[in-house]
Amino acid sequence: MSAFLDVENLHAGYGTVPVLRGVSIRLDQGESIGLFGPNGHGKTTLLRCISGLLPSSQGTIRFDGVEITKTRPSDIVAQGLVHAQQGNTLFGDMGVAETLALSAFVPRARKTSTETLEYVYELFPRLAERRKQLAKTLSGGERQMLSIGCALMCNPRLLILDEPTLGLSPKLKQELCDATAKIAARGIPLIIVEQDVDFLLTLTDRLYLIDHGTVEREIAADNAPDHAEIVKMYFGAEDA
Amino acid sequence: MTRNRLFTITLVGIAALFFPMIFQDSYTRHLAILALIFAVIVSNWDLSLGFAGLFNFGHTTFFGVGVYTAAILAKTFEVNPWLAMIAGGLSAAVVAVIIAAPVAKLKGIYVVLVTFAFSQLALQLVLSQGQITGGAEGMVRIPSLRIGDYNFARDFKLGYYYTALGLTAISTTFLLLVARSPFGKSLRAVRDNEDYATARGISVARQRILVLVVSAIFTGIAGGFYAVYLRVASPEVFGFATLSLALSMVLIGGTGTIIGPIFAALVLTFVSEGMAGIRGFEEARFIVIAVTMIAILRIAPGGAIDLMSKAVSIGRPPPTDLKSKNT
Amino acid sequence: MMDTVIATLISGLLLGSLYAMMASGLSLVWTTLGVFNFSHGALMMLGAFVAWTVGEGAGLGVWIGSFSGIAAAMVAGVIIEYFLVRPFYGSRNMLLVTVMTTLAAMIIIEKGAQIIWGSRLKQSPRLFEGDISIGGAIISRQEAFIIVLAPLVLFAIWRFATVTATGRSLRAVGQNQDAAALIGINVNRAFSIAFALSAGLAGLTGVLLGSIRFITPSLGAEPLTKAMIVVIFGGLGSMGATAGAAYVIGFLEAFLILWLGLYWTPFILFVVMITVLILRPNGLFGRK
Repeated sequence: MSAFLDVENLHAGYGTVPVLRGVSIRLDQGESIGLFGPNGHGKTTLLRCISGLLPSSQGTIRFDGVEITKTRPSDIVAQGLVHAQQGNTLFGDMGVAETLALSAFVPRARKTSTETLEYVYELFPRLAERRKQLAKTLSGGERQMLSIGCALMCNPRLLILDEPTLGLSPKLKQELCDATAKIAARGIPLIIVEQDVDFLLTLTDRLYLIDHGTVEREIAADNAPDHAEIVKMYFGAEDA
Repeated sequence: MTRNRLFTITLVGIAALFFPMIFQDSYTRHLAILALIFAVIVSNWDLSLGFAGLFNFGHTTFFGVGVYTAAILAKTFEVNPWLAMIAGGLSAAVVAVIIAAPVAKLKGIYVVLVTFAFSQLALQLVLSQGQITGGAEGMVRIPSLRIGDYNFARDFKLGYYYTALGLTAISTTFLLLVARSPFGKSLRAVRDNEDYATARGISVARQRILVLVVSAIFTGIAGGFYAVYLRVASPEVFGFATLSLALSMVLIGGTGTIIGPIFAALVLTFVSEGMAGIRGFEEARFIVIAVTMIAILRIAPGGAIDLMSKAVSIGRPPPTDLKSKNT
Repeated sequence: MMDTVIATLISGLLLGSLYAMMASGLSLVWTTLGVFNFSHGALMMLGAFVAWTVGEGAGLGVWIGSFSGIAAAMVAGVIIEYFLVRPFYGSRNMLLVTVMTTLAAMIIIEKGAQIIWGSRLKQSPRLFEGDISIGGAIISRQEAFIIVLAPLVLFAIWRFATVTATGRSLRAVGQNQDAAALIGINVNRAFSIAFALSAGLAGLTGVLLGSIRFITPSLGAEPLTKAMIVVIFGGLGSMGATAGAAYVIGFLEAFLILWLGLYWTPFILFVVMITVLILRPNGLFGRK
């Protein structure tokens, strides 16, 4: 059975600096996967290649059988592959409601925009309270919620979340974890990048450890080694 | 200076000295003189634009100021044309201080706009103060250079040629010395990484003022020379045509190299004037020049601005794919 | 005395209207692409010439001529964006390079116009003939039309930018290009649209100018400088600031001409601009 998302032997970098050195990952129908690993080793680069922001020099990316290696980002979103970036990058001078409305930009998103908007406000009541507020005045957690909300408005068939709990307090982390679980429960397959491996284990079926631009390990969530093992893998891998 | 470079320059210098022996007609020498004048203008422009990385779009103002200063002094006040020429350089330097003061603390696009606006202001001033400057018609019959009784226009402009050559030599030597001096190094530091340079104690504002003044001196003298050579002063010197021609020379020659634009000036002056001679091309030649400018910017990777000579580059950060608004 | 003041006020309104329409085009491209389009004035002139040629030369009348002028400017704008701006997007010195390429575009359009249409003065006929009187001051109907039209155009731009998806997408691209791409906005298309609209505004201004002034290849040079003063004064950050600054400069200029005469006005305007910049390096209302 062909994978829902298939990344094969991907090479990419910035200028003369190579970052991805032959990464291959796979997401099958009906599952969610997680990516973890030390910073600067290619997780975000991999996501940017998948969503089309960064061109790759070698390798292929297939989404639901269609090759998207050289497709432009807006067309990839139009096919339902949506990437919520790290660091809650957003449109500073636009209001919450405006941003969410705009995010239903592609045709498949426009069809479902009304229901999705309701769903987003239900999922993140804080956003509902701040409809007219400008994005740049939101707190870190609220911006993260808006970022995920925008991604949902695109009506994704596959949702990529890049470090959704980065820099958040434990309470907010829990809120976002719950929200992400609800999104997964709705049937949207996820690719999640996180430092918090426990977060990943509860939400995904498989994990990939990305280190030095390649896949170091693949772990099945229901067969995961214990926490100490993973930490060792994580930090031990840095010495390699 | 590498051995090779020194060799090439000496060779060119000798060729330049003997040039009038080979080309004895007035027209070719005229082109050569114009070429040398442009060489001075654009190599000085390269100092502020390419070498220091300052988005200075008002350089031709210095030239124009030099032209009109010398013209007015020499004709209206009957000052010795030699002194008038030098005065052109001085007044250009003063203007540089005036321009540099507001520009010193501005960022990116505002530097472009303000320096450019100054050139338009200068044009306005010249056009409106017609009694002094001759307005739109300009000034004519400006006295020519002479030593004693010998008028430089004689012998098919021989004297003018060697004066232009001497001016170019002095200006270039001056620029090269500046480039190698600690000041020059600090300019490059600011160009390559302004924040770091400021953290190291370099005053960016002071640098900008200094580099503009330094680049204005010989440009102004070249302007003065232009006035006493062609013996006319016209508001054209502040116009877009002059600006674009000079700019294309800087770009094609290679920004930040100082020598590059000189060669570009020599070549392009001949090409440009040559085209002016072809019927129907007097205006079209500017289109050709503009297209060439665009071609250079497209073909040189990352734009010609990044095409620095190896001797000048200091660890550039690797280019990223991140699209960001440059200020 | 009173009617001189009124006449000056109206003159200021007229200038402000023209400047607002011109400068908002510049501001649109700046806020969306981060590019300063030096050929903006030339696009104005192109609009004026095409309007004249189609309207007068081919005899198709003022309305068709005007729309042709605007269309021609828009096409030129799209071409400029595609060949002279887009290839440099993301490069390290994009700002400076695009200044130079758009300057080159200006030269090409100006000299091209010189070759095609020559330097002999031309003028387009007016949409509205005759004069009207306001409080003792006389103004041509065409100029009154311009004064009324400008706020309408500005309002239309504002509605476009805040209410329509396309307009919002332009703002989004201007604020965060990557995020815009990731919600499905085709960034390249957004650039083209922004440039086309900006060029259309330039064309419109040119067409209107061509009916109250003489059309020459250098028609665009002085308005470009004025537009520059406006955007410097108001700051390039937002279109609202630009519109506001345009009217301020318009009134300022009108009164300066009254008090100091035509000769000294450009100079004083300039000094005012420099002073503002010294005190507020990002323009009067500017943000970036």
